[in-house]
Amino acid sequence: MINIDGTLLAQLVNFIVLVILLKKFAYKPIMKMLHDRQAKIANSIESAENDEKKAQQVLGEYQKQLADARVSAQSIVDKAMKRAQEEHDASIAQTKQEIEQMRKNAKEDIARDRERAAMQLKGEVVSLSMAAASKIIAVNIDESTNKKLVGDFIEKLDKDKLGGLSC
Amino acid sequence: MVESAAHEFMLFGLSFNAETLEMTWMVMAVVLIFSIVATRNMKLVPTGLQNIFEMVITGLNDQIDASIGKRGSLFAPFLISLFLFLLISNWWGLIPGMASPTNTLNTNLGLALLVVVMLHVLGFYYKGPRYLKHFFEPFAFFVVIKLIEEVAKPITLAFRLFGNIFAGELLIHILPHLLPNIIAEVIPGVLWLGFSVFVGGVQAFVFTMLSTSYLAESIRDEDE
Repeated sequence: MINIDGTLLAQLVNFIVLVILLKKFAYKPIMKMLHDRQAKIANSIESAENDEKKAQQVLGEYQKQLADARVSAQSIVDKAMKRAQEEHDASIAQTKQEIEQMRKNAKEDIARDRERAAMQLKGEVVSLSMAAASKIIAVNIDESTNKKLVGDFIEKLDKDKLGGLSC
Repeated sequence: MVESAAHEFMLFGLSFNAETLEMTWMVMAVVLIFSIVATRNMKLVPTGLQNIFEMVITGLNDQIDASIGKRGSLFAPFLISLFLFLLISNWWGLIPGMASPTNTLNTNLGLALLVVVMLHVLGFYYKGPRYLKHFFEPFAFFVVIKLIEEVAKPITLAFRLFGNIFAGELLIHILPHLLPNIIAEVIPGVLWLGFSVFVGGVQAFVFTMLSTSYLAESIRDEDE
């Protein structure tokens, strides 16, 4: 076991062959796989960082949009309230105007009715007076003189008495 | 491990030990098959044997990188092969009927000389005449001590491994003769086998690490 002979040279050759075979069949594939894994992990970390950055960006945009939306919603509400107020005011004004119009119409109606009533009354009073007068005085005055006489009287009466009445 | 002249044969005027060669080839086959099986269908997410193999390779690679530096990756296949071969060789003799290729100086001295020759050649290749200068530092007389050191390197590497493995196998063969029967042998036998497994691993590691540091001394880039 301690004698040194040609086996030493054979062992050298054996070992060198083993190194070459191991390098080809085991070392290279495993180093390639380790590098692949390293690259994959580096890629994964990088893409995770990118994703996080993107997520932050999206979040920022989202928050900004939310703030904008809030502002514009507020302005829409303000505008709507303003318009409602305007409409409210306008409707009140219109109603007031309508009421005013109706009152005016009513006044006019009343005035017209009063006038018409007065005319009717005047006519009736004339014929009544005529009948009464002709009966009382029984004087044969011609028709036209008679009418003029009574009409003048009524006119005078109208101006003095009827005009002063409040209806 | 049977010491016998029957294993000797002559070729080209040199005598060869057939048993050592056969055992070496078997160990080589085992190492190769193990490595190929472990690295076949390698996945990015390792499982089973791939895990063990990766652990051995990355562990040794780290050691090599740490001591040799950037040239380390060039010698990693050599040193990792050395470790795997020595590990399986040291354990091979523990299988009944087998013998360790490393129980003979032929293998151990061969490997040690390979390492030592390699480190001198590579040292000279990388550093040129500057490499020779370090034998004469800090002053010329040191060359004697340096030369003794260089001669001691292969001898200590080879004999340390040889002694450990040879003794382990020898005791495995002697134990049955020392003890009266098979029952009495069980406990010391198993203990010694376990210890031999441990010694085999440690010696393979020691040989590899010493080779690495010897290589590092001579080929490490001084600028690093």
